[in-house]
Amino acid sequence: MISKYKWWELVITYTGMALFLTFILAPFAEALMVSLRPIDSVFRVPYRFFTDNMTIQPYIDMWTSVPKLGRYILNSFFISCAVTALALACIIPAAYSFARFNYRFRDGFLVAFLAVNMVGAAVLIIPLYKLMFSLGILNTYWAMIIPGAAFSVPTGIFLMRSYFLRIPRELEDAAYVDGASRLYTLRRVILPVALPGIMVVTIATFIAAYAQQFLFALTFNSVTDYHPLPVGLYQFFGRERVLWNELMAASLVGILPVLMVYVFLQRYIVAGLTAGAVKE
Amino acid sequence: MGHLILSGVSKSFGSAEVIKPTDLEIVDGEFTVFVGPSGCGKSTMLRMIAGLEEITSGTIEIDGKVVNNLAPVKRGISMVFQSYALYPHMSVYENIAFPLRVAREKQPEVDRLVNRAAEVLKLTDRLKHRPGELSGGQRQRVAIGRAIVREPSVFLFDEPLSNLDAALRAEMRVELSRLHSKLGNTMIYVTHDQIEAMTMADKIVVLRDGRIEQVGSPLELYHKPNNRFVAGFIGNPNMNFLPVTCKSADPEGVRVTFADGSEAVVAVDCGDARPGDKLELGIRPDALRIGGDDAAGLKLVPEVVERLGNQTVIYAIAPDGTPLCVVGDGFAEVRPGQQVAASFAPADAHLFGKDGAAFARNFDLSRLDRLA
Ligand SMILES: Nc1ncnc2c1ncn2[C@@H]1O[C@H](COP(=O)(O)OP(=O)(O)OP(=O)(O)O)[C@@H](O)[C@H]1O
Ligand SMILES: [Mg+2]
Repeated sequence: MISKYKWWELVITYTGMALFLTFILAPFAEALMVSLRPIDSVFRVPYRFFTDNMTIQPYIDMWTSVPKLGRYILNSFFISCAVTALALACIIPAAYSFARFNYRFRDGFLVAFLAVNMVGAAVLIIPLYKLMFSLGILNTYWAMIIPGAAFSVPTGIFLMRSYFLRIPRELEDAAYVDGASRLYTLRRVILPVALPGIMVVTIATFIAAYAQQFLFALTFNSVTDYHPLPVGLYQFFGRERVLWNELMAASLVGILPVLMVYVFLQRYIVAGLTAGAVKE
Repeated sequence: MGHLILSGVSKSFGSAEVIKPTDLEIVDGEFTVFVGPSGCGKSTMLRMIAGLEEITSGTIEIDGKVVNNLAPVKRGISMVFQSYALYPHMSVYENIAFPLRVAREKQPEVDRLVNRAAEVLKLTDRLKHRPGELSGGQRQRVAIGRAIVREPSVFLFDEPLSNLDAALRAEMRVELSRLHSKLGNTMIYVTHDQIEAMTMADKIVVLRDGRIEQVGSPLELYHKPNNRFVAGFIGNPNMNFLPVTCKSADPEGVRVTFADGSEAVVAVDCGDARPGDKLELGIRPDALRIGGDDAAGLKLVPEVVERLGNQTVIYAIAPDGTPLCVVGDGFAEVRPGQQVAASFAPADAHLFGKDGAAFARNFDLSRLDRLA
């Protein structure tokens, strides 16, 4: 298709995008600027975006103001990884079964899964607390990992299922004719072909887990050593004042693992991995 | 090695009987082609033979062994799919080697077999590529390579050439025929394509609505179709059908009258034809001659004239409105809208009863045997 836009159409397009990006990125820009100022300049009136006493001191001081900051960041990363691994271990087989096998109530199960997702974790927090309590896993990593995984499974199944559905059935038939068992086919044919889909689900789950852990950590965990970053950040709220600049610095550093995971995994989200499998 | 017998095989999806109980025998080394209109059950039949689809009733026997409940590999079959179904993440080498890997073949043996298959299919310098980097014809050959590497006794092809362009299709057709004479396996081949069916088959099976209409050699089907459906399906352009009335039936033929009152004697076994019966006369487009002086004549008005150089295809209508197709030579004197006379030799005509069954033609098939 030849796309020729009038100049004013281009202006509208770019203005729209700029507006959208500004809304999304402005908080980050402000966080960055705050993190690069001494605490006294943060609330200066009149407001100036750039000030002359910019410094990276908050990035150094934050490690001493909150001594366990490194541990919190690692906790966050570890919990998210564990949630992602556990969720994937459930999502992939479940999604494959939803996509390929025929059984009674299959579609009903799928709808039920999604319905659970709509209710959300916040509503279920008290029953979950009781559940964790009776399982005896309050104040352990498990208390944050298991609910985190459970609540990311439904969306994951839905995403993964639609990806599996796009893989031609004849690929499996061919493997079966060649003598391969179901599991062999899943491992050697389906999973490699579904890799881009798996990566999308991995990234989505990881990010969701990173965002979600605050709620679970706050309610199910009171051991400081197990706290993830979002809870740990509270320690910047001092007795008489909040160290906003260090808080922002720590938040930005805390985002880094997510960015790293994203940059590392997005290479695998390449379109056209199924090219050449079947006649188009 | 590769003697296949179907007895009473049928298949239902829910309440729909897609394949009616079917008997068929395919002897070792035969190249059998399944043809039929879309949705008639060709793929389903093939998938049942392959073991991908459970059969509802009946038995499938390969080399004297009932294989109803055996997995495809155990049946000694391999299949090339309607889409190629290549593994996109594996190289051509690994694609062809896949069945051997599944069977845990030793690496030197895998190397030897894959290289031999690649050589037969002229893929040797493509072994390192991914399927996505190959042309349609090459992908097709990889799919065939994966099927032959296991040396199965029966080969199944489901419309393997349907998405290739005409030139490549012709080339692959010759290659497949060559492959068949080289390997000597039993091959079962599904196609929509007349030319593929006529040129490659030892035996054609014509299917309609899940039922076998006729089984025979290509020329047998062409010259002695069992019924109107087979007659209309085999041959290109399709056979013309004209409504006629039986005037008299004698041992040497059936005398029929056309709508315009002219008469002809068709050389068929008169069977149970009685004077006054409404019958249908079939005549192939190339058996009609424009302006010829054969015994039986028709008047027709050409509507569309296609000049192909070596021949002229004329789409016309008879005075009673029946559409007719005539294939004449490249210089046929016809123009759209101008009535012409056409004629045919009664010996070339076919005659069909009301129920579509053909009257047996007095046609000597041994004439064809000499050509084999
Ligand atoms: N899994 C299925 N469930 C229900 N009906 C099916 C199924 N597979 C095939 N059919 C039906 O069986 C009939 C035959 O299908 P089949 O695929 O064998 O046709 P075909 O002759 O191969 O057609 P084509 O030439 O278009 O490939 C069709 O009417 C189809 O709707
Ligand atoms: Mg088909």
